[in-house]
This record gives sequence, structure tokens and C-alpha cells, in this order.
Amino acid sequence: MKCEICGKEASSRFCNSHQSAYENVKKNFATWKKALEITWEDYLREIAKNPNTGKWAKEVAEHLLKKGEKP
Amino acid sequence: MDKYTLIVTEKPEAARRIAEALDIKGKPKKIEENGVPYYVAERNKKIVVVPALGHLYTVTHERGGRNYYPVFNFTWAPRYMAERGAEQIRLWIKTISKLAENAAEFIDACDYDIEGSVIGYCILKYACGGKENTAKRMKFSTLTKKELENAYEKPLSSLDFALIEAGKTRHEVDWLYGVNLTRALTLAAKRWSGKYATLSTGRVQGPTLKFLVEREKSIRCFVPTPYWTIKAYVEIQGQTFEVEYEKEIIERKIDAENIVNDCKGKTGKISKINVRTIKQLPPIPFDIGSLQTEAYSLFGYTPRRTLNIAERLYLSALISYPRTSSQKLPPAINYEGILKGLSKKSDYQKLAAELLSKEKLVPREGKKEDPAHPAIYPTGNMPDRELSEPERRIWDLVVRRFMAVFGEPAIKQSMRASIEVNGHTFYLRGRVTLEEGWTKFYAPYIRSEEVALPPIKEGEEVRILDVNSEDKFTRPPPRYNPSSLLKKMEEVGIGTKATRADIIQTLYDRKYIVDERMVVTDLGFDIIDVLDNYCPTVLSVKLTKELENKMEKIQVDGEKRENVLFEAVTILKPILEEFKNKEAEIGEALSEAIRKARIQERIIGQCPNCGTGQLMILYSRRTKKRFIGCTNYFKGICKTSFPLPQRGTLKPTGNQCKECGWPTIQVRIKGKRPWNLCFNPDCPLKERRKSKA
Repeated sequence: MKCEICGKEASSRFCNSHQSAYENVKKNFATWKKALEITWEDYLREIAKNPNTGKWAKEVAEHLLKKGEKP
Repeated sequence: MDKYTLIVTEKPEAARRIAEALDIKGKPKKIEENGVPYYVAERNKKIVVVPALGHLYTVTHERGGRNYYPVFNFTWAPRYMAERGAEQIRLWIKTISKLAENAAEFIDACDYDIEGSVIGYCILKYACGGKENTAKRMKFSTLTKKELENAYEKPLSSLDFALIEAGKTRHEVDWLYGVNLTRALTLAAKRWSGKYATLSTGRVQGPTLKFLVEREKSIRCFVPTPYWTIKAYVEIQGQTFEVEYEKEIIERKIDAENIVNDCKGKTGKISKINVRTIKQLPPIPFDIGSLQTEAYSLFGYTPRRTLNIAERLYLSALISYPRTSSQKLPPAINYEGILKGLSKKSDYQKLAAELLSKEKLVPREGKKEDPAHPAIYPTGNMPDRELSEPERRIWDLVVRRFMAVFGEPAIKQSMRASIEVNGHTFYLRGRVTLEEGWTKFYAPYIRSEEVALPPIKEGEEVRILDVNSEDKFTRPPPRYNPSSLLKKMEEVGIGTKATRADIIQTLYDRKYIVDERMVVTDLGFDIIDVLDNYCPTVLSVKLTKELENKMEKIQVDGEKRENVLFEAVTILKPILEEFKNKEAEIGEALSEAIRKARIQERIIGQCPNCGTGQLMILYSRRTKKRFIGCTNYFKGICKTSFPLPQRGTLKPTGNQCKECGWPTIQVRIKGKRPWNLCFNPDCPLKERRKSKA
């Protein structure tokens, strides 16, 4: 199996690096929702453009937005 | 020449200082043979002082080439036999051996620590024909005349063999790890790809790189979360002050907006005033780690640079031996004498006089001890040459820290006034110094802001001038820098004070990390990935520390060198066998990492024409000439290309041209100064240069 983002070997849909970032993206949605009453798509857009977001987390956010995936 | 006493030192400058200190007239005769300087001094008898150049001997394989592993047979040999580019060592050893022939007595005057002891021992054993058991040992912490004379008159009757044994074992264990793992990685990659690239790891290097990779992973996976802070300004007796809200962090935007609305335009009342007096104790003396940390935070010097500067100051007899982990200053160093010496410099005159007027000088000390040397302190000597700016800064830092440790505690008063505004509390904080104490000695290096508050009382009303909320986001964990990484290595107890800075430098040299705020490269990631998958044991901090403790025990508790070496081999053997079995897989992974790293090295920056491709150094298949091309060429999108000089080596600078903003490259041609090239044919700078010419 190849990582949907970088094409590296993966045991699930993402490689280890992007899997960790994906889990972080999912985990932090609750905090954003509580803070700003924000939708999943808006959340992904926000973190994709935030300069503090890590490289892999940004790639995950952009990938999920492109695929239109729900949480 | 008549029979003489031969003194062996670690470096040429130390030999000169020792010879000058011991010569009755202070003017020893300098002789040079084969380019090796040595000194002849006259005292009650003739003394010859000859320097080494650091380590003249090293651990190497007993037989065979470099293209195999595992290798567990080793021997100590001259460095010129084991390393490329160490040819001058041959002349050095030849000269020392010749001088040893006529010597009646031998004294080891290398630095009194683990490395110095090994250097002196090897020279006496191998270059002087087995004089290690009869030689005496000079022990000193500064290169001042008085201390050197004393060390010469009262030498230790023998070498410190426990220290030597510990030092030799450390070299041998590090060699076993370094050579086997480095060969395993390098050969795996070479056998797969046919191309050679040095990939190294080591007993300490691996776990250190792992810290960086772990941190890099958390930075790359980081998702910031929003929060808000409340900032308000109040007017008290005509002056404006910033006040803090009772909660540092507000988690919901709506809550932050409500606080602002509740407080805007309102009047507050001072409900409570807390006044606290704080006693700030003097700092403790510098050991090498704390000096490196302080110099990094004050001047931005890397730990390696600080160590080099400190060593130069030591060799100039301005400070004591810097490679120490002690935080103690024993009275034997003569506090008064040092302060009297320092008072010759006008900047220190008043400060030194103030300390000298004290009834008793008692330094504040830290817990750490070092059996070989005290903490770093100034000798009290004045420079006999002009110091460079970095040397002057480090010397001043050491001098002021030394004086500060004898100072009285500083007394500060902090005040916190609580201001109630419509059900919310804000804090107004003030901080003033009541008694300067030690801070006056260390003044240029203290960063503390004073806020003096006007006289206020409980019940007093204050006007809220402005309240607003600020949008903020949590930040990723900070990147390591050379100083914080060194501190981390110290905390977890891997490496030694002598090796940590060099290990960090190796990570840069191998291109596993880049930039001062350390970023792990893909190659660094892949190395750790491979080691983690195939031999995680070599990345274990616990194991590294355990081995470190055992090596220390050789020095203090009589642990046997053979046991430690046996344990190291027992750990390594199965790892290397496993590695060999999976060499093809590992080689493939590493070769891919090297290939990516090499491509990365050739990328110059974003294409200024298409904006989406990357400009890269490419080679024409037809003419074999190099040029710059856009990576989008292969997709048929962009045909941007630029010519390049065909001579010399090229390296992207990572910087942009100041005139046109295009990426630049550095050109290096042998015998010429390197220059930065902007390859934009229409760069205004080029036009200007042309018209000037």
C-alpha cells in the first residue's frame, strides 16, 4: 500500500508520518469547534493556511479538503 | 646535548608557556626540527619542553582494509597510519622520539583530564619507548607562572592510570561503535547503488540525531489551536500602565468578546495589593556547559566556538582550564590574588576593590564537582596580546561571573495590585531593585525589566483606558539549537564535555541537519528510520547512558576495561549480523535517501518565470555541460534555462539577490575567492556594473 499523500510505503492509507499528522488534525478539531463554532471544511482551510501548522499536517489538511472528506 | 628532563605538553602554546615559566630567565631557547617547535629551558637542570598536536595516536583496525565489517580487532597506532591528511604527525612523533633518546627523566604536562591523560600516556609509551611507568605528572589548572612552577616542583609521582584506562576504553568503545555502524551503513548503500557516500553514526551520534528527529516530527505534525488573550491599559495618577487579565488564556472567542464588552469604558477599583520581597542569590561559577549556554544566549556563539575561544584564553593564561564540569571554586586558587590582578584593569578596579574590602570572600558554588579541575575562573593576569572581540567578550563574561559569585544576594521587591472591573480581575505588576547585590558585578549580562509603580492604595479607583482581545495560536515546540541540544545531551547524560560540541558539528557535516535552529534533512530522517527499523538498540539513550556509566566506573570504582569492551562487543555483534542479513533492503532505503539528498543539493529555488517549478542545476546529455533549468521542463510547462560557469563547484546559497530577488548560487574556483552569482541576465546590478566598467 502507498501513502495517499507522498507515495511512501504504508500499512494503512497514510505513511507513518502522515498518519501521525492525520491523527493530530482529527484530534484538534474539537478544540477549534469549541473555540470558533467552525465547520470541518473551514477548520481544514484555516489550518492549511496557518503558518504554525506543521508541514505534514498542512499536507493532510490540503489532501482532505481536496477529497472533500468528512471527519 | 647533556641529559635533560623531557616535558610533554598537549599543544605548542602550552609548551611555550611552560618553558617560559620554568626557565630561570623566562626566556627559553626555541628550536625547530622538521617543523616541530620545542623549547630548551635552564633551571636547576636542563629542561626540554616538547608539544604534541592533540592526539598523535588513535585506535585503528589491527589488519585488513576498510571495506568489511564487523571488525572487533583493534590496536593503537600513530594517526598518520590510520587517517588521511595526518602526515605531519609522522614528523612530530619522529622529533619527540629523538628528543626522548637523550632524556633522563620524563614529565607528562598534558591537560589534566581524560583526553590529556590519554595523549600523554600514548606519547610516553609509544614515542618515548615505554616511559609511561616511570614518568611523573604535572597537574595544573592554569598556565600561570606560579602554578606551573609549583606543578613542576611538586609533580605527581606517576600518571593517573585509572583516568588513562577510562579514556582509552572510551576511545575503543566509540571506535567499535563508530567504525562498525558507519561501515555497515556506507557499505550497504555502496553495494546497492555502486556509489560511495559516507554515512556515519555512532554511540552518541545516533541517539542525539534521534532527539532531533523526534522534535522535527512533532513540529511537522503540529496543528495549532486558537486562543485569546486580554490586554488592558489603566491610568493611575496620570500615568498609563499595561495590566494582565486574571486568566492568561481564553479558550473561546465569544468569552473573550464578552470580557472586552464587560470592561470597556468602565472604572476599576484596586481591591488588594500584595508586596513581596525576593532574595536573588548570586549565580554559581561557570562549568563548560553553563559557559557555552550563556555565551550562546548572550552572543549567539555556538558551543564549539565558545569552547575554542575559551581554550585560546586558557592557553594565553587568562582563564583556568575550561573543559571542566566543576561548579566549585576552592580557596586554594587564591581569590584575593586573582581580584588584585583583575583590579589592574580600570573596568574591574572598583568592583574588585569592593570585593577585596569584604571581611571574608566566600563564593556561591553549585553541586557539580570535577576531580581534575575547579570551575572556570580568571587567572587575574592581563592579556599580553590584543584580544579579538569574541575573546574579549568571553574573558569579560568569565571575569564578571567570577566576581558575581562572591557578591551579596540581590533584593528585589515585586508588587501585584488586583483591580476589579465589573466582575473581572486584572493584575498590575511592578518590580524594583532594593539592593543591587551581585547584579552590579554582572550588570552587562542581566536582562531584567524594572517597572516602578506610583504610590497606590487599596480602594483607589483607576480608569480603564482601553481593553482588547488578541487572536493567538499555540506554537509548535521550539527547534533545538546548538546550545539547547548540548544541554539536552548533558541532561540525559550522553557524551562528555569534551565530545558533545564535536558530535553536533558532525551532524551538520554529514548533512543530517541544517540551519542554526536545527532542521532535520530527509537524509537525517532516513538514517534514523533505517536504524530504528533494523537496529533500534544503537539509538537507545538508556543503553548509551549505561555504557557511559560503566566507563566512568573504570575511573572511580575500578571497573575492568575488558568487561566494558566485552559488553560493547556483545551488544554490537547481533546488531551487525542482523544488519548484514538485511543489507540489500537497507542499502536500497539508504541509496534512495542519498539520491534525494543529492537532488536537494542541486535545487536553487523557485522558478521566477512559471512560479511553480524549481530551478535546478542540470547537465546536458549531449554536451555534458551544466546549466540551470526548471523542473517543469519535463512536464512541458516551462522552458526556462540559464547558462552556468563550467569551472569550479557550485552551491545554492539559499539567499536571494538583493537587487532582483532571484535565487543565487555560490561559485568556488580553486585559488580564487568564492563569489555569489545572480544568474538573472536582466539583473539591474549587472547593468550597473557594466556601465561602471
